Amino acid sequence: MGEKVTFWYGCNVLRHGDIIHACLDILRAVGFDPSPVGGPDYCCGTVKDANQTTAGGMATRTVGKLNDRGARVVAWCPSCHSHMHDFMEKGNERQFDMSYMVELLHANRDRLAPLLKNPVPLTVMLHKHVGFNDLVPVNRVVPELLQLIPGVKVVDAGYVAPGYMCASFAGMPAALQDMHTNTVRAAKACGAEALVTTFHQCFREMVGLDAAGTLPVYNYIQLISQSMGLPYEDEYKEWKRAPEAAKEMIGAERIAKVGIEFYERAILPELKKRPAINK
Amino acid sequence: MATPPLIGARLKEFQQKEVERILDACTKCGKCFEVCPMAQYSKAPATDGKTVVPGVLAVLRGEQGTAEALGWIGVCTRSGVCVPACPENVDPRMMMRLARMTALGGRGLPKQLDVKEDRDYFDRVRAFAKLQLTDDELKEWT
Repeated sequence: MGEKVTFWYGCNVLRHGDIIHACLDILRAVGFDPSPVGGPDYCCGTVKDANQTTAGGMATRTVGKLNDRGARVVAWCPSCHSHMHDFMEKGNERQFDMSYMVELLHANRDRLAPLLKNPVPLTVMLHKHVGFNDLVPVNRVVPELLQLIPGVKVVDAGYVAPGYMCASFAGMPAALQDMHTNTVRAAKACGAEALVTTFHQCFREMVGLDAAGTLPVYNYIQLISQSMGLPYEDEYKEWKRAPEAAKEMIGAERIAKVGIEFYERAILPELKKRPAINK
Repeated sequence: MATPPLIGARLKEFQQKEVERILDACTKCGKCFEVCPMAQYSKAPATDGKTVVPGVLAVLRGEQGTAEALGWIGVCTRSGVCVPACPENVDPRMMMRLARMTALGGRGLPKQLDVKEDRDYFDRVRAFAKLQLTDDELKEWT
């Protein structure tokens, strides 16, 4: 049995069950024994800038729960990872070591590489942001991981988006539109057939380009998963590509779990959303 | 019987110490603003960092910030380009984050900045969890 680790996946990646399940299989395959935790009960509190009493309470609760698990924590979400570094551990006693998923995989790439058996013939550009990279050098490391996959060619036009991830652009439509436009232009300029994101927040935003037929979009874990032959399907992308048919694809049993009223009010508009591109 | 600590008290203490450190260290040179890739998207655009940064420091002190300062605070997306640009090692990214928390009313001071809150944020996360995880996974993982 490998080293026990707590896989702290975050909140919003719950849109992408395939990514969570693939991460767990990949961690097991490279020799770890992961125990997953996430969702609102393990929220880091970073979304509560407007209420630091609540944010502080969330941080204390989550650090306490992670302490109780007594294992190294492997973070998936860049917001959780940076919020732990910047705030949570400053106001609480962190009693566990921490790694970020990208750096853990990179450190274990000798074990990962032989597992990448299926070719994925694709020329890809990594979607980069300037932020977070000083905490974990994802803009260098993720291309190195992608290049382990037989058939994958990584190209780059030198465009690095502002911010630390796409979700931080919420409420700034002009900035978002510029980022989409510059990303598509860069991908075309360097001959990329597809865009690859490091973070799920960027995948959620950029997959709108895929749904609109502009550019295929993947998260890096999905390409690793594909090469390993893991069976997980990207349901979110399928729903996003055909939002009017999503209810049928999801099925009555799952829709009933969230309620049709909530689905139509809060989920369907997200599936229908498409990125704006400058003319 | 000892009084239990207030919720988030240590975090707030850390934030206050950071505010004091930043107020002491910043020389208002404006380099952080000059290199910011998001400043162009501000609702109250400015050209001179030397005039904008004092407004940010005012917010940290609990005073009213200028429109230009609040506009810049409102578009900070934590690019971090400002961090190596600062000649005084102030950590302007932390400065802007704390200013944002303060301007939003998060640190107990009057609210100066409004952002649209997503009232469905956590319910949407829970809903997607129900769509993507099995009942057993929901019980054990969340």
